[in-house]
Amino acid sequence: MENRSPSLREKVKQLRRTFLDKLPGTLSEARRLCDLLVRVPSDSNTLDDLYRTFHSIKGTGASFGLMEISAEGAGGEQLVLQLQGLEAGARGPQLAGMLPGLEARIVRMEELLKLARSQDEGGPAETPSFNLSENPQKIVSKRVFICDDDELQAETLAAQLSCFGYGVSIFTNPDSMRAALMVAPPDAVIMDIVFPGGVNGTDVVANLQREMRVPPPVVFISSRRDFEPRLRAVQAGGEAYFTKPVKAIELVEVLDSLTLGQEPEPFRVLVVDDEPEVAAYHSFILEQVGMTTRLLHEPSTILEELSEFKPDLVLMDMYMPTCTGRDLSRLIRQVPEFISLPIVFLSSETNKVKQVSALRVGAEGFLTKPIQPEDLISAVAIRAERMRTLRSLMVRDSLTGLFNHTFMSQFLDTALAGVKRESGRLCFAMIDVDHFKSVNDTHGHPAGDQVLVALARLLQQRLRHSDMVGRYGGEEFAVILQDVGVEEARTIIDNLRADFAKVRFSAGDREFSCSFSAGIAGFPAFAQADLIRESADQALYRAKKSGRNQVQVA
Amino acid sequence: MKILVVDDDAMAGEMTGAVLEDAGHAVVMAENGIEAMEKLNENPDVALVVSDMNMPMVSGIDLFRDLREQGLDIPFILLTGDDPGPLKAQEPRLDDCLTKDFTLDTSLIAAIDAVLARRG
Repeated sequence: MENRSPSLREKVKQLRRTFLDKLPGTLSEARRLCDLLVRVPSDSNTLDDLYRTFHSIKGTGASFGLMEISAEGAGGEQLVLQLQGLEAGARGPQLAGMLPGLEARIVRMEELLKLARSQDEGGPAETPSFNLSENPQKIVSKRVFICDDDELQAETLAAQLSCFGYGVSIFTNPDSMRAALMVAPPDAVIMDIVFPGGVNGTDVVANLQREMRVPPPVVFISSRRDFEPRLRAVQAGGEAYFTKPVKAIELVEVLDSLTLGQEPEPFRVLVVDDEPEVAAYHSFILEQVGMTTRLLHEPSTILEELSEFKPDLVLMDMYMPTCTGRDLSRLIRQVPEFISLPIVFLSSETNKVKQVSALRVGAEGFLTKPIQPEDLISAVAIRAERMRTLRSLMVRDSLTGLFNHTFMSQFLDTALAGVKRESGRLCFAMIDVDHFKSVNDTHGHPAGDQVLVALARLLQQRLRHSDMVGRYGGEEFAVILQDVGVEEARTIIDNLRADFAKVRFSAGDREFSCSFSAGIAGFPAFAQADLIRESADQALYRAKKSGRNQVQVA
Repeated sequence: MKILVVDDDAMAGEMTGAVLEDAGHAVVMAENGIEAMEKLNENPDVALVVSDMNMPMVSGIDLFRDLREQGLDIPFILLTGDDPGPLKAQEPRLDDCLTKDFTLDTSLIAAIDAVLARRG
């Protein structure tokens, strides 16, 4: 090394620093792949990606003299190799045993990274950095870069996207975007193709794909409609291609699918066992693979626990001092809300007759203790997944994917019971698209559907996770806002109203916009579910009478 | 001399490139086997290939075999994160196979000199 020329030494130092800067991203990618693998252990592509990730850390780490990091990478690579050697079906069971090993290597590399940095700097390990992406104050959940030399067009698009909850930064030249991207990659990039001076957007993106280990998804926009730029866009790794003028709704749909769904809600499992250690052990196994669990040792509080925790599945000990699992599951099944909740028994019972009798009262499955961690995980995951699919089919509206009328009514009843008990607050808002019939008549039903889907998406994106959004029928939507007073609810819904009015729709060559009216009623002013619904409906009627495009409170 | 460096890992490729440039060579980069072929067609004056072994789709050894199949007898040095022994055994026609490590600036340059001397 001492023989190296000054310029090479400097270059190597720089590269090594870049490698270290990128390592956290690489390691979080490794984590993401591990998670993915837990969900689909048989997926060879994920396994290949994980192998390459560790392999590259091993190789490149060694190139920069980071031998310890390289060794950890090699360790990870070995573990993945073992998995690759197995039949696809046999990987799941092995995986559970290997995960802690993989995780330990990743953690160790993070420590080594800090150490290496502090040695490089000759100072403190923590260098001040700009954490653009970790600002806790930020309300906007998804960040998007638009790179277009036509600033006006970019701003119009940005305004539309921000209505759907995207935080947009505009760059008029690719170099400035590239610089910002290296500091804090956004969730997606929208890239123009033709720039002044012969710069080509597809080349810029192709280079990014080379430079970054995990490049953000890219959507190309261009006024060219022919084959050649489309081909180049695909070759550069573009996820989608839109011709200008870009329809914001369609773009949002693609951005949603690109940026959502990376982190599905973890499965929620209620573990019922009178022995705390046993319950803790089972919950530990499930939490290891990312599920959320809650423990219950005292069966008498199970109904409250079910309403509050809303599990996807109950894992229950067969024999408990106060009552048997059989009785408890029959009790649960008698509550209409929980009639389809999967219940899995866990017991040292090996007697087939008794197992069958447990299944007869509606248990989904019967697992025998002691159980292998991987068997427990797959038994729970398969049933919880199926439950989620079924439930979403039963309670969702087919056009918008929102909850349907029946579900919303039920939910209002349940939620109201909850806030009464805790003397909390709750608001119910009815939302109705203004002049919807004339949209259908003037622009056709596909345009009308476009409006409904856009409103559904807007509501879903901008409201909190705890707020329930449903399609009540026709062009009518309902929102249940939990733990919010009527004035606050009015502000929230009114902001949505203002943003929805800004969204431009297109039908053929024509553009149009829409508005909605809303009526809100809340607890405690109205104490019964029927009364709340009725009052909200009357408030909505007043909003319509007073000229539409407004929010009224009952 | 003009050298083609093939590596899917941009950092590793840059590193190799830096070593070669420092030794006075001109470097052309490719990030996969297909791009390597293109670069070779565009740059007929490339006199040597240094390629990573482990790349998606087309591995370093596949690339080497493709080149030979096409009748291109260009000197080819394979870099690997693993022990080079088995790879050399697997493909004895390789001009050389080296382990990626921090001594690349001496080992790679020495290997290139040796290959060129052998080939005359």
